[in-house]
Amino acid sequence: MKARHALAWPLLAVALSLALTALLILAAGKNPLLAYAALAHGALGSWDRIGVGLNKTTPYLLTGVGVALCFRAKVINIGGEGQIALGGLAATATALALPDAPTVVLPILALAAGALAGAAWAALAAAIRLHRRVHEVLVTLLLNFVGVLVVSEALQGALGEPGAGFPQSPLLSRPAWLPRLAGASDLHIGILVALAAVIAGHVLLWRTPFGFRLRVLGASEPAAAYAGISPARTLLGVMVLSGALAGLAGGVEVLGVHYRLIEGFSHGFGFNAVAIALLAGLNPIAILPAGLFFGFLETGALAMQRAVGVPSPLVSVIQGLTMVFILSAMGIATLRRRV
Amino acid sequence: MLRMQGISKSYGAVRANRAIDLDVPAGRIVGLLGENGSGKTTLMNVLFGMVPPDAGTIAFKSRPLAGHSPREAIAAGIGMIHQHFMLVPAMTVTENVMLGAASTGRWLRPAAVGARIRSASHAYGLDLDPGARVEALPLGIQQRVEIVKAILRGAELLVLDEPTSSLSPPEIAGLLDVLRRLRDEGRSVIFISHKLGEVLDVCDEVVVLRDGEVAGRAETANVSRHDLARMMVDRDLAAPLERFGRVPGPERLVVANLTSSDASGIERLRGVSFSVRSGEVLALVGVDGNGQAELADVIAGLARPTRGSVFLDGVDVTGAGVATRRAGGLAHVPADRGTTGLVGEMTVAENLALRAVGDPPLARGPWLDVAAMDALARDRIAAFGIRALHPGVPAATLSGGNQQKIVLARELGGAPSVLLAVQPTRGLDPGATRFVVDQVLALRAAGGAVVYISSELEEALLVADRIGVMFQGRLVGLMRREEVDLARLGSMMAGAIEEAPDDAALYGVRAP
Repeated sequence: MKARHALAWPLLAVALSLALTALLILAAGKNPLLAYAALAHGALGSWDRIGVGLNKTTPYLLTGVGVALCFRAKVINIGGEGQIALGGLAATATALALPDAPTVVLPILALAAGALAGAAWAALAAAIRLHRRVHEVLVTLLLNFVGVLVVSEALQGALGEPGAGFPQSPLLSRPAWLPRLAGASDLHIGILVALAAVIAGHVLLWRTPFGFRLRVLGASEPAAAYAGISPARTLLGVMVLSGALAGLAGGVEVLGVHYRLIEGFSHGFGFNAVAIALLAGLNPIAILPAGLFFGFLETGALAMQRAVGVPSPLVSVIQGLTMVFILSAMGIATLRRRV
Repeated sequence: MLRMQGISKSYGAVRANRAIDLDVPAGRIVGLLGENGSGKTTLMNVLFGMVPPDAGTIAFKSRPLAGHSPREAIAAGIGMIHQHFMLVPAMTVTENVMLGAASTGRWLRPAAVGARIRSASHAYGLDLDPGARVEALPLGIQQRVEIVKAILRGAELLVLDEPTSSLSPPEIAGLLDVLRRLRDEGRSVIFISHKLGEVLDVCDEVVVLRDGEVAGRAETANVSRHDLARMMVDRDLAAPLERFGRVPGPERLVVANLTSSDASGIERLRGVSFSVRSGEVLALVGVDGNGQAELADVIAGLARPTRGSVFLDGVDVTGAGVATRRAGGLAHVPADRGTTGLVGEMTVAENLALRAVGDPPLARGPWLDVAAMDALARDRIAAFGIRALHPGVPAATLSGGNQQKIVLARELGGAPSVLLAVQPTRGLDPGATRFVVDQVLALRAAGGAVVYISSELEEALLVADRIGVMFQGRLVGLMRREEVDLARLGSMMAGAIEEAPDDAALYGVRAP
């Protein structure tokens, strides 16, 4: 009963947003069924495409799990984008600094550096929250801008590729690249890391005292105090954890997709991760379908534009509407509980 | 001015008001006195149209008032000033007065309203600045904003519900002056309080409620504090429960000279000292809001005292956190089951584990042992007779009595040496209340020391070996159960008597 209910709302939200977007497509004079067919084909039409979709999904899963854990404790961390940016930067810097490191070691070192940088960026936000009492929504949001600008600054200077004409780093050496999974497709092993993170997030939330404390703190602050839970320590812990996951996502994106640091590579990931976490009902396992939905929507979008002439940003409309419906559903659920 | 006749109101089986008559003539201040739950608030809610009475009539200015809404009550000329102010902190005094006023009309005229506030403020000595932001004002001044709001809306009868509970002594004196001026110009005031001194000071006559009935009424000129205290609490006493007579053991909990202040700097605890021994129950009674909650928080480790110490089994735990005290044998049944004692959306099993997830056997290395948690839950559910389908249902789905059983099972299941129980039977039916009392007495029999904080006098007398009375942040009396004299206890609760306890009472041993 409860599980069915938990699934009903997100599915309804997705269906409603698809239906509403169909009306928009109709209004633009196109056939929505053809458009959606093109979208589905573009997303799932070949192993190659599926691989691209899974690559898209990877940073969403990593960041989304971190966001879900934070939100469970009512720590509203919306700093994913900045944490991803810093993670990508640190991974790039590490890979460029150690060009001669062996194949297996280099990506591991670079990803670890990415996770560390993301964690540090989130820890900075947590420290400001705890010591200066600025709400974490504000701190994490503003640090996003700072993080993205730090990346730009690095690309204008030490990390930039001389003469490239675009703010990007030099191509990383081959040993730093994440190995591909399936022969010809672009699919890299990042998706396995992300799957591991999803499972780890689930285990952490439901099978460790730390996860228990997150849930108590999120449910009731007085109860948490009564249970002897330190809100400060818990907030710092979950922020560092989610920062590390976002930083890891940034590193994976650099080492697995672009093979270099590009200005603006983190754009939109952080906020989509929030949407995914909410769509998943802050349930780490459910992040998987929610993240896949967002990832494949985006890979299908270009195909839809090519085939039917519907502009690809319409996909952002679907994502946005899903978000609106999910939030409305949560509002309704809260109202019902009060009645 | 106001005549309420035969007002009766029941909530389920609870008869909150039973045929109450209340007359308030013009130009009089009438005190409404009574313990918590005596029916004061219900009576005023009936007057203000917030709940319909089951029986009885209300006439205001000789016109009947029935089936009215709060809006109509205001329009008729009744102004209610609640204990918690209904002000918008971010707005100015003028804006708060305009807010929701029927005479505001289409256009806001802040200057005109400001001028009216100034003249009213001058007339009644309110000393208000119309342009000040409410959030920057002390509580005493905020209350005056409420008063001016009511006056400018044409209130001829002002009802003040516990108006002095959050004020400092000079603010209280100022308020009483304002009330006298209002009376002298022909308005009427109903002054709801449980503080005898203020009632005698400012009221012309007083009506005492007890258990939903009028227990007495008098002109304040010819009544004494003791008479009023007796009217408030006098009743037949149930015999104390059968229990093992036992010599109290060693001191388990000692608090010495505890002092603490709230966020706005008002002292809520002022030098509280007592000790509780193994195998005894110390009940602390008093009207709500006299420092009991603050004392409980300090003992539990949820708040730090500004001065004084807490010793648990001889160890100074004043600076220790909740977890340390728990490990030292302190169990705590908090007053608010809904937000503190339980997490409603979490399962029964999780709630039973709430305070122990970090310790073995629930924590095994870095993991939470879900099987152990389930086993513990089944154990406790059986031992305490918790009516839950299975350990995995959310705690919020259980009845209040069963929710409290979860809290008790968690806190008493670990065989604590000290139990701090705060209002443990609030909101429970008689059966569940009896269960709680039995559990407390079982712990006492097993050698536990119990601090039992309650505003239910009868219940406190039922469980206690010694009774202490809290008044305005101090322990104003402490006596052995068999030496209790109800009238004296009532006077102490009302602040009319204060006495230093002798050693025997203080430490729970008879002087040789």
